[in-house]
Amino acid sequence: MASEAGEGSTAGMDDYETLISTTDVELLKKAWRNEKAAPEILRFETSLIQRIRGQIQLMEENIEEFAGSGIDPLTVSLYQMDLDRTQYLFRSYLRIRLQKIEKYMFHISKNPEVQSRLSEQEKGFAIRCADDMERHLEESVLSKLPDNYQDIVKQSIISEESDMIPEPQLDSFVVCKSRRFLGPFQLDGSDELLEMKPDELCIIHYKSIRERVQEGDIDLV
Amino acid sequence: MYGRKACQLVKELASGEKGQLTPYNSDLSDQVIAECSQHHLELQSLIRKMQEEGLDVQTTRNADHYGALIHHLSLVRNKRCLMAYMYNRAEIIRSLIWKVGPVLPQQIQEKLSHTEEEYFKKHSGALQSYMSRLDLDLTVDMVPPKDPYIQVRVLDDIGVVLSDDKTTNFARHSMHFLKRTDAEQFISRGLMEELTS
Repeated sequence: MASEAGEGSTAGMDDYETLISTTDVELLKKAWRNEKAAPEILRFETSLIQRIRGQIQLMEENIEEFAGSGIDPLTVSLYQMDLDRTQYLFRSYLRIRLQKIEKYMFHISKNPEVQSRLSEQEKGFAIRCADDMERHLEESVLSKLPDNYQDIVKQSIISEESDMIPEPQLDSFVVCKSRRFLGPFQLDGSDELLEMKPDELCIIHYKSIRERVQEGDIDLV
Repeated sequence: MYGRKACQLVKELASGEKGQLTPYNSDLSDQVIAECSQHHLELQSLIRKMQEEGLDVQTTRNADHYGALIHHLSLVRNKRCLMAYMYNRAEIIRSLIWKVGPVLPQQIQEKLSHTEEEYFKKHSGALQSYMSRLDLDLTVDMVPPKDPYIQVRVLDDIGVVLSDDKTTNFARHSMHFLKRTDAEQFISRGLMEELTS
């Protein structure tokens, strides 16, 4: 994974930092960390994942070649370790997303905005998940209940809205930091202003910085 | 009485060890469902009584109205408890798929109801189909890798296994130096243990 996006420039530490941190593996690490820390499912990084898959395959082929061509086994095992780490990040990223889909399957199926954040295969998975769960609950409980109480998302037909859907807790606290200096900006959903210096840790409600995380200005830790 | 049995059901769920299932209590859940039907009958008879007396069901607030309301609320609470019971058990079942794999050991299978077994199979199928669409096995590599190869000791007789282009005999108590991803499936089923010296 040693394909740097560009050489380190002498134009100042800031630019160097930005260049170093834009290798695909770094981007994957960032996406993985964000996904792990966020209470809701984030946008699927389609192009990044595609590139990483290609790179993993290339690396696997290279390692096989090296192993056969008598290159120092220590070097081969170093490449292997690097590959393993990347593969772990890749699989873990997909796994975390799947587990979030499993957790909030009804919320996702009723919410087209959230659905737009899933990959095509994830959408299929989410639909199957919700169907299976619906059938399971209907067979075991709902079909045996009296008529007006058989709905899966409403407590009874006199409920005004779907009141039985588990939703992600958007006001849970997260630890975050920004790589650059962020001038006083307004927090989502309130009038307070917040200023963030680079690499300074901040503990805050997720929903106040939701938009900024999606745009990549703020990273979750 | 109203809601007690449902509460017991939920308490049973909470009393199990975290991540472990208790045997499915079909008796208790049937009793709760029977209570629901009972509440519904009482509710309907009270509403009918009000209608026969010529009162407007939507707006009248008399003793019958409040009686019906209590039956309704108890019914809804029973429903919530039942659904919480099933939903949380389903959550544990899903976590088992990740931990143990698509085949459940006998002791766990005994604790599931019939519908839960069906759900388990269907959900495993959904996961498998997702993984095959991506052409990727997501059940390996569950912990961050420290070394690409690990030392393992075989705990149960696995016999001869074909891997890549060589066959290895995994006899009990033998030690091997394997790739982490190859060994993981055996470790998660308890057939091998990792030697961390």
